[in-house]
Amino acid sequence: MGIRVPLLHWLVYVLHLTFYTMMTLKIAFRNIFRQKRRTILTALAMVVGFTLSSVFIGWSDGVYSDIIAMFTQNRIGHIQVHLNDYLDKPSLYKTMDDYESIGETIGSVKGVEAWTPRVYSAGIGSVGEKSTTVQIIGIDVECEIQATRFDKKIIDGRELSAQPMREAVIGKGLAKNLAAMVGDEIVIVSQGADGSIANDLYKIVGIAESGDDITDRLACYLHIGDAQELLVLEGRSHEIVVIVSNINRVHKITKAIEANLNNLTLDVAPWQVVAKAFYRAMQADKQGDAIGRIIIMLIVAIGVLNTVLMSVLERTSEYGVLKAVGTKPGQIFWLVVCEVLIIAVGSIVVGGLLGTAGNHLLSIYGITMPQEFTYGGIKFQTMYAEVNARSLIIPAITVILSAAIVSIFPALKAARILPARAMRAH
Amino acid sequence: MTNTDVIVTESVTKVYAENGVPVEALRGVNLTIQAGEFTALVGPSGSGKTTLLNIISGLDAPTDGKVWLAGKLLSGMSGNELSDFRRDNIGFIFQAYNLIPVLTVEENVEYIMLLQRMSKTERHRRVIAMLEEVGLSGLADRNPPQLSGGQQQRVAIARAMVSEPAIILADEPTANLDSKTGADLLDMMSQLNAQTNMTFVFSTHDPMVMERATRLITLKDGQIESDEIKT
Repeated sequence: MGIRVPLLHWLVYVLHLTFYTMMTLKIAFRNIFRQKRRTILTALAMVVGFTLSSVFIGWSDGVYSDIIAMFTQNRIGHIQVHLNDYLDKPSLYKTMDDYESIGETIGSVKGVEAWTPRVYSAGIGSVGEKSTTVQIIGIDVECEIQATRFDKKIIDGRELSAQPMREAVIGKGLAKNLAAMVGDEIVIVSQGADGSIANDLYKIVGIAESGDDITDRLACYLHIGDAQELLVLEGRSHEIVVIVSNINRVHKITKAIEANLNNLTLDVAPWQVVAKAFYRAMQADKQGDAIGRIIIMLIVAIGVLNTVLMSVLERTSEYGVLKAVGTKPGQIFWLVVCEVLIIAVGSIVVGGLLGTAGNHLLSIYGITMPQEFTYGGIKFQTMYAEVNARSLIIPAITVILSAAIVSIFPALKAARILPARAMRAH
Repeated sequence: MTNTDVIVTESVTKVYAENGVPVEALRGVNLTIQAGEFTALVGPSGSGKTTLLNIISGLDAPTDGKVWLAGKLLSGMSGNELSDFRRDNIGFIFQAYNLIPVLTVEENVEYIMLLQRMSKTERHRRVIAMLEEVGLSGLADRNPPQLSGGQQQRVAIARAMVSEPAIILADEPTANLDSKTGADLLDMMSQLNAQTNMTFVFSTHDPMVMERATRLITLKDGQIESDEIKT
């Protein structure tokens, strides 16, 4: 019995609170429709702010996603595995001996789509009388095609054979520097892991364009077997590049790979660690975008504040009456906030539809720049948006928060009204 | 102060600062109104009638002096306490009706009871009875702007009385009405006063109100000039 009575009181209290809340909402709704023009103006400011912000996010996310996809998929992969400290101090001698079994373990991790081993070294490449520094990249052709779509980068000739055949594919920039063409021979001179001078002759079977000028000016791709032989690194590799099915899960998959390998001599790093400078530059860029969004919302907030303040000022007398008949200051405060929030919610729905439609169209047609531009070494001309939850959630939170914040001052003004003075304002 | 004293003011002073110039609206008003009185505050414009009514009801604070309403000292009450006190003890009737324009007649009358957390059944019963009483049964779903001045004032009366407060304060309730409507409403209030023993305090210039009032308090220059109890 002792428990039932407070419970009953509580239920009655909740019921009354619900009735009062319904009445508050009713008054708020009717006030919104009573001042149609002002409501439309307020909502318009919010809708425009939401839509701009949504398209802004969708577009920049789309561009960043493209950049990341190209940067990772074409070049560094989503995750890389090296011998400890290789990333900070790369060396010819920091190799993984049993890279194939490591690769198989990585391939068994859920979410891993492909993996490919690589061997790296620096050397001098000569075609005819021209010589220049080259980056020797030994690749497993089949794995590389699967992981980084190496075959798509060939702009002239063909990709390397599946077996070591003393063939080379060179970057577009390197081909230009060496005045080399498909069918020419390139002499590569380097240093072998045993201290010997490594040199050999390779037939150029293809020219590659990765989308990264710096890479293309240096890259000389060899079959991993040929590279291992040249550098005296039989059965060893410097790097395993991993491609995952969902880039957003890269950190989780990195941890899973680490756990599966369970090898303290190996360093498993997501692309954000591998390409620290690129990642930081992009984060800085994104922060710059956030400032843009804040400016948009600030303009919206000032517009909303103005209309809400005008509305409160016009209805001073009404608030006076409400207070006179016994409405508490807090209840009047919530009434004003409620009105603004109802408009904000409606605006979010409309803005959400417009923003999604805008992002969808931009994800199909994109925006083509009059001139090509480079980001992180990757060339772009057409930039596409993407439709994602972020482009709806962030503007929604921003609109709700800014609406709530700008309504505080007018709501406090209404709540603090002296009834006698307020009613004289009629 | 006796048990029947519902309104007591002690040396109430109100000074407004109009454009930086202090204006004394009330000067040491001492007043006691007993339960069930039908009192009219009369006097020329600027004599302090409305100011006194506002201070009595807690809508405005005195510059100096004390006000007791239904035995409670108003000064020192917080904003919320004052709101609750007005909600439970005072019904207001204003010259400009001051209905909530976005609520229907029924909702306007119901509003205070909702604040009082009265049950839905009881609210409904009282609204029906009160609208019947003021002759607006068929207009429950109308909004105030759809009503005539007289009808709006009837709604205001219904709103003021529906929660059965101890005191009804009416500021020039007939000022915006034609004489017939005004007389009808006054008769109605007079009848309710007789039936329910509610205390009515009017601020008025209207001879019809003065005629029906059982007590006539005349204010002049912020002071009580005369206080006449009719027999």
